[in-house]
Amino acid sequence: MAEVRLENVVKMYGKKVAIRGVSFTCREGEFFSILGPTGAGKTTILKMIAGIEPVTSGNIYFNGKVVNDLPPQERNVSMAFETYNLYPHMTVYDNIAFPLRAPRWRLKLTPQEEKKRVEEIATFLGIEKLLDRLPQNLSGGQKQRVSLARALVRRAEVYLLDEPIAHLDAKLKFSTQTLLKEFAQRYGSTIIYVTHDFREALALSDRMVVLRRGRVEQEGTPEEIYYYPKTDFVGRLVGDPPMNLIDGELVSQNGAFFFRKGEDFTLLLEGALAEKANSAAQEENGRRVVRLGIRPEHIRLGGAKSSENAFRLPIYAVIHESESSVVTFRLKDNTFLYVRTIGFCKYGRGEEVWLEFDPQRMFFYRKTVEAAKEGSLER
Amino acid sequence: MKILFWLVTALVLFVIVAPLAWIYLTAFKSPNDIFTTEARKLIFFKPTMENFNRLFREFPFWDNFVNTAIISVSSTVVVMVIASFAAYSFARWNTGKGHLLFTTISTRMFPGVVAAIPFFVMYRNLGLLDTRFGLALLHIYFNVSFATFLLYGFFKEIPVELEQAAMVDGYSRVDIFRKIVLPLVRPGLAVTAVFCLVWSWNEFLFSFLFTRVAARPVTVLISSFWGSIEVQYGPMAAGAAIVILPTLVAAWFMQRYIIRGLTFGAVKG
Repeated sequence: MAEVRLENVVKMYGKKVAIRGVSFTCREGEFFSILGPTGAGKTTILKMIAGIEPVTSGNIYFNGKVVNDLPPQERNVSMAFETYNLYPHMTVYDNIAFPLRAPRWRLKLTPQEEKKRVEEIATFLGIEKLLDRLPQNLSGGQKQRVSLARALVRRAEVYLLDEPIAHLDAKLKFSTQTLLKEFAQRYGSTIIYVTHDFREALALSDRMVVLRRGRVEQEGTPEEIYYYPKTDFVGRLVGDPPMNLIDGELVSQNGAFFFRKGEDFTLLLEGALAEKANSAAQEENGRRVVRLGIRPEHIRLGGAKSSENAFRLPIYAVIHESESSVVTFRLKDNTFLYVRTIGFCKYGRGEEVWLEFDPQRMFFYRKTVEAAKEGSLER
Repeated sequence: MKILFWLVTALVLFVIVAPLAWIYLTAFKSPNDIFTTEARKLIFFKPTMENFNRLFREFPFWDNFVNTAIISVSSTVVVMVIASFAAYSFARWNTGKGHLLFTTISTRMFPGVVAAIPFFVMYRNLGLLDTRFGLALLHIYFNVSFATFLLYGFFKEIPVELEQAAMVDGYSRVDIFRKIVLPLVRPGLAVTAVFCLVWSWNEFLFSFLFTRVAARPVTVLISSFWGSIEVQYGPMAAGAAIVILPTLVAAWFMQRYIIRGLTFGAVKG
C-alpha cells in the first residue's frame, strides 16, 4: 500500500500538451477516482503512474519518494487496462497467473498455491468457468473481468484500474462495483480508478478529481463534487440530467441585486448569493453576465406562488422514471431547464406551474463551457 | 461461374505441376525414352534408376548437396537471429527513425549482380572464394535485409500495450521478449525462416560466381549438366528431383503457418 502524489505533472506528445500540470494526492488505502470526458488525459495519467509513459516534467511520488525514473517493474503497481491487453496465446488461467509468476516479486508459489490464488480471484469475479479458454473465445465483458482479475490477483502497492467495468452490462456493472468496494476494504488497497461515468466515480470513491483537458478542475469527496461543483464544467459532467446552467444578467436596482433570465424570470439575490454572483459576473457588451447553476432536484414545483422568487413556466415535457420524474421547461433562448421531482409527477405537458430555486443550492459561475442548446448532444 | 473457377484452377495447377512432373518422369527414364518422339512414352515407360546411379557415381552430387544444406541452414539460422533482433528494434523503438530500416531494405533494391564484382574482388583478397563460409556470408548479407523487412511487419502487429501490461506485471524486457513477443510472432518467424531457407537453397548466381569445387552447391552442379556440346537430361532431372524435395517438404509443412502468417493481423484476435 502506498500514498501516490502527483506534483505539477506535465505530459507532452511532441508539441501537443496532454497533461497541463496536474497535482493531486491519493492517500494510502484510498479509493481514488479520476473522472473526466474522453480525451481529458485520464489514461495518460494512469500510465505515467504505472511508469509506462514517462513524465515530461513534474514529479510522481510513492510514499514521498520520487519514482519518475523507475520502470514499471520497480514500482510494484498493478493495472487493468481499458483495452484489456490479455495475452492472446495464453489461457485465461495463465493470463491471471502471469503476474504471480514474475520473478521480480519473488513469490515462488507452488502450483497448488498459485491455483488457489487464481481460482479465488476468478470465483470472486465470476469467471471461474472460463479458466481453460483462450481470450479470443471470450466476450467483451468476460475479457474485461479477466483483465480485472489479472490486476487484482497480486498484492500491489497501488492498483490502477482504467475503466475496468465500462464494458460490462448493467447488472454485472453493479455487482462488480460491490466486489471492488469489498476488495478495497478487505485488503485496504490503494486504488486509483479511472472512469468517464460519474455514477461509478460517485459510487465507489473516497475522494476523486475531475479532469478537463489535462487539468484538474476539482478535487474532493464525491459529496463535494456533486453538491458543490466548483465550475460549470463539473456541474454539467456530474449528474443526469446535468446541472442546469442558466446564462443571465446581473442587474442592480436601488442597491439590490437581481438575476434576470431574459423574459423568463428574474430572481432577487440576497446576502451571500449577491456576493457570489457579483464575483462571478463578467462584463459583456456593457452588461454584467453570469451563469447560474442549480441541480434539477433543487428546484421545487408547485401549483401556487410560494415565495417572491417563484416564477411560472409552461411544462415542455415530462419523463417518468422509476422513482422520480424529470420535468422539462423550455426557455426563450431554446435552452432547457430540468427539474427532478420525487415520485410520479402529477402535472402534464403544457400546464403552467410555479418554480422555485432553493437558494442554498444556487451557484454562480464564470462561463467556461457552452450551455447545451436544444438538439445538441454535446456534453 | 463454377466451371470457370475449375478451369482456371486446372490451368494454374497444370502450369505448376507440369514442370515438376516432367522432372520426376525424366529422372526415371532411360536415355532412349528421354529422347524418343513417341507420345505414349511420355508417361508410359520402363522406370530405371540408371540416372541416379550415374549421378551418384560420376558426379560429386552428395558433396554438393551437403554444401547446399550447410550453407542454407547455417545462413538461415544466423539471419533469423540478427533479423529478429533488428526487426524488433525497428518495430518497437523506431531505431534510426526509419533511415536505418530503409538502408537495410535498400540492399535488396539493386540487382544482386551489381554487387558481385566488388564482392568478388574482396573475397579474392580475403581468400573467401570457394568456401562455404564465404558463400554463407553472402547469403546472410542478402537475406538479413529481406528477413528484417518481413519480420518488421510481424513485430509491428504485436500491440505495444501487451508488452506494457507485462512490464506492469513485473517482467523484464528479456522475459517479455521470450514470453510474450516470441510466441506471438512465431508464425512470422516460421514464414520468414522458410523463405530464407528456400531462397538460400535455390540461390544460383552467387553460388555460380563464388565457388568452383570445394564449396559448390548442388544448384551449380545441376546447371553444369547443361554443357555446350550436349545436355545431360538424365542426371540433371535426377539431381533436380532430389534437390527440390526438401523445399517441397518445407512448403508442405509450413503451409498453414505461411497462410496464417501472410494474413496475420488481417483479423485481430
